[in-house]
Amino acid sequence: MRVVIIGNGVAGIEAALVVREREPSWDVTIVSEESDHFFSRTALMWVHTGQLSHRCIEPHDRDLYERMGFERVRARATGIDVGARAVNLAGGMDPVPFDRLLIACGSRPRPGPWDGSQLRGVGHFVTHQDLAWLENETYGGPSRGGPPPRPGGHLAATTDDSPYRVRPDGYAARGGPPKQPAVIGGGLIGIEAVEVLVAAGLKPKFLIREDWFWPMALDEAESTWVAERMRHHGVDVRLDENVEALVGDDAIRALKTDKGELDCDCCVIAIGVIPNTEWLGEGVELDRRGGVVVDGGLQTSVEGVFAAGDCASVPWYHGAKMPEQLWYTARDQGRVAGRRLCGDQAEYARGLWYNSAKLMDIEYTTAGLVSMNVEGERNWFFEERGKVRSTLRVVTVDDRVIGFNALGRRWDHTVFNRWIAEHRSLRWVLDHVREASFDTEFVPPLTIPEEDKSKELGGAAFSVIRDPMPAPRA
Amino acid sequence: MDLQGQNGLMTTFREGWRSRSWIAWILAALLIGFYLDLYFRDDLTPIASAIGLKNKWYLYGGLYTVAMAGGAVYYLRRHGNSRYNQIRIAVNVGVQLCLAWLLPFVMPMLGGREFYFSYLWPLAYSDLWPSTLASLPIYLALYSLIMALVATPILAFVFGKRWYCSWVCGCGGLANTFGDPWRHLTATSTASWRFEKVAVHTVMFVAIASTSLLGLDYLLDGQSGTFHWIVGGSQFWSVKELYKLVIGAILAGVVGVGFYPLFGPRVWCRNFCPMAAMLGLFQKLGRFRITVKPDMCISCGNCTTYCEMGIDVRSYAQSNESFTRAACVGCGMCAHVCPRGVLKLENASNLQTDKARVRLPVVDI
Repeated sequence: MRVVIIGNGVAGIEAALVVREREPSWDVTIVSEESDHFFSRTALMWVHTGQLSHRCIEPHDRDLYERMGFERVRARATGIDVGARAVNLAGGMDPVPFDRLLIACGSRPRPGPWDGSQLRGVGHFVTHQDLAWLENETYGGPSRGGPPPRPGGHLAATTDDSPYRVRPDGYAARGGPPKQPAVIGGGLIGIEAVEVLVAAGLKPKFLIREDWFWPMALDEAESTWVAERMRHHGVDVRLDENVEALVGDDAIRALKTDKGELDCDCCVIAIGVIPNTEWLGEGVELDRRGGVVVDGGLQTSVEGVFAAGDCASVPWYHGAKMPEQLWYTARDQGRVAGRRLCGDQAEYARGLWYNSAKLMDIEYTTAGLVSMNVEGERNWFFEERGKVRSTLRVVTVDDRVIGFNALGRRWDHTVFNRWIAEHRSLRWVLDHVREASFDTEFVPPLTIPEEDKSKELGGAAFSVIRDPMPAPRA
Repeated sequence: MDLQGQNGLMTTFREGWRSRSWIAWILAALLIGFYLDLYFRDDLTPIASAIGLKNKWYLYGGLYTVAMAGGAVYYLRRHGNSRYNQIRIAVNVGVQLCLAWLLPFVMPMLGGREFYFSYLWPLAYSDLWPSTLASLPIYLALYSLIMALVATPILAFVFGKRWYCSWVCGCGGLANTFGDPWRHLTATSTASWRFEKVAVHTVMFVAIASTSLLGLDYLLDGQSGTFHWIVGGSQFWSVKELYKLVIGAILAGVVGVGFYPLFGPRVWCRNFCPMAAMLGLFQKLGRFRITVKPDMCISCGNCTTYCEMGIDVRSYAQSNESFTRAACVGCGMCAHVCPRGVLKLENASNLQTDKARVRLPVVDI
């Protein structure tokens, strides 16, 4: 049996490991344009600052592929021949035949829709090659941890529009790091780019289209605190400012926005990611977001062809299908896909939503339905200002908790999710909230004064942050 | 402030002296040279007497304390927003200053005998030698015996190895302060773990065996001349002298500190310290563990990289496995640098099993 996996990311490698565990003799081939070794994409920011080396972010020993008998093909896949059951490769390389196929090619950065998005000094912060570009921009090269092996191993068989191409940088022309760096896009990748530029001693501009940073996840009070921390580190946080064009001849010189023109000699575009699936053409069914449409068992419209990770449109809890661009869910999907590749029946069951992040130096945990504008939702919000600064937002519907948003402390999301599933009341949750604490030792526990807990009972004092809105968004 | 997580990113691999550049090699050569001189020559003696110290070991103790205090300032500037780190380092430096420097300095002035309360057998290998016990005042002999044989196992069972290795011990204290800039250089490969297990338990066995042989020699009261000559003789290859030379001087001093800038600050503690090996065994049986919050690890590798004992913490975190490793000294750095708050050091009762992985069906909204 020939199993081919397109993509060397977390979904692909988890699937490959499941197949190998079950079927020691099957041929497993991993096609990747991006890198020779599986690495943690979420850790690129630390490699840029030098907190980690390239080797540090590879979770396995480098002999994994040899030991597991995975054949690696470092090339760009250009299409799937469903009839001949083969993956076509760029650069005149022979097609790779398969019996079962997993598409786990992940996301690519959403390209800038503006004029000048291809200028020298403009790039993204999603792929290995984006990291190389930003390292070149800020430091003139990789850290002493060294570059990954064969950083340009894909170049023979790639194209100019590939997300796995190292963009041209302006370090040499400027004679040093950028003086006026800018980051466009107020989401998680944007704040990571801001953080690494701060760590390099720069003071970036951070252009955010919305009224506050990351409205998808944070409300205004929470976001204001994060923006305060960014400004404390010298970041020029510019809210409600729309980019209109990137200006320059060869290299970027300025940003034109609806509020004027800003000097800029290096720009990270971080306006999200999209499924990296244009190359699939008509091979398998895609949805309007570009995600590969799969059923609950992660099978695509073609028998024996599966998809997992960022590129797959999987069924969510509300029934709609959407890509789920998260590290842990990609890992879970990869494990399910691995079992499907072995011929097992398996379903990918998405549990309750949860996530975490670190926003500058503020820890963030979320669970359940938060910032979703659920009908009848009411938000209980508490801000702690003492030795520890933290916030806690509990979302309720009919006095049943449905979501948690917490900044500044560590929480166990599994406990939050259990309470949501148990239909706990707000009061019960506030009385038991310490049971969900995951703070390190000696950190004084969160204390919620009685009058804040009973806001709920007073009714009028209950803090309603957002008006009830119709229906969750599908 | 959150009093726990990392505050500001580090630029470790962009600093040559911390990532094996030529400066690091020169630093290592200087440290190795210093320790060779300290143990095998007497160049420091005149300096010590010039400033009125009884011998070069008082001078060394002073330098050691200064290095630790300076390193503590560096450490707290990098990791000091964490409450655990603040308390731990303050206690550790305080113990070094009071128990390992001031008290041994003052005791002889008061007519007593100098004694290092913070070093216990088998790290202080001669503490339980019969000749030492016999020469000590009874309260100090009892202290040595009770601390080494009763208190150490109990404390390690309840709090883990960390109560000693990263709160009290001077070697650990130097590693966590002066040695902190190089903590990411500790080898994390499977091969290095295999070497560690063989080496550290061998030294532990040798420590127990040599102490037992010396005890037997004491009981025999020198009746067997050959046995006494082999075990406790003063020629360099007797059991006693070889232990002092190979383990006491070369491994603990020259290799232990000299290799800081190249192989990380815990080369001695991880691979050779007999005390750490024993504490590790008690720790495995005891309550200490690192709890992993399930399904939240992003496999970034900060924990593994900054583990000074070379434990591949990430491999446990990404498999949702709470764990206790004999090597872990409980410095807390893995939990500190984790960007997702996945790890937590705990003294949990054994009865408390891992929280079941929660994969609940969707709320019916």
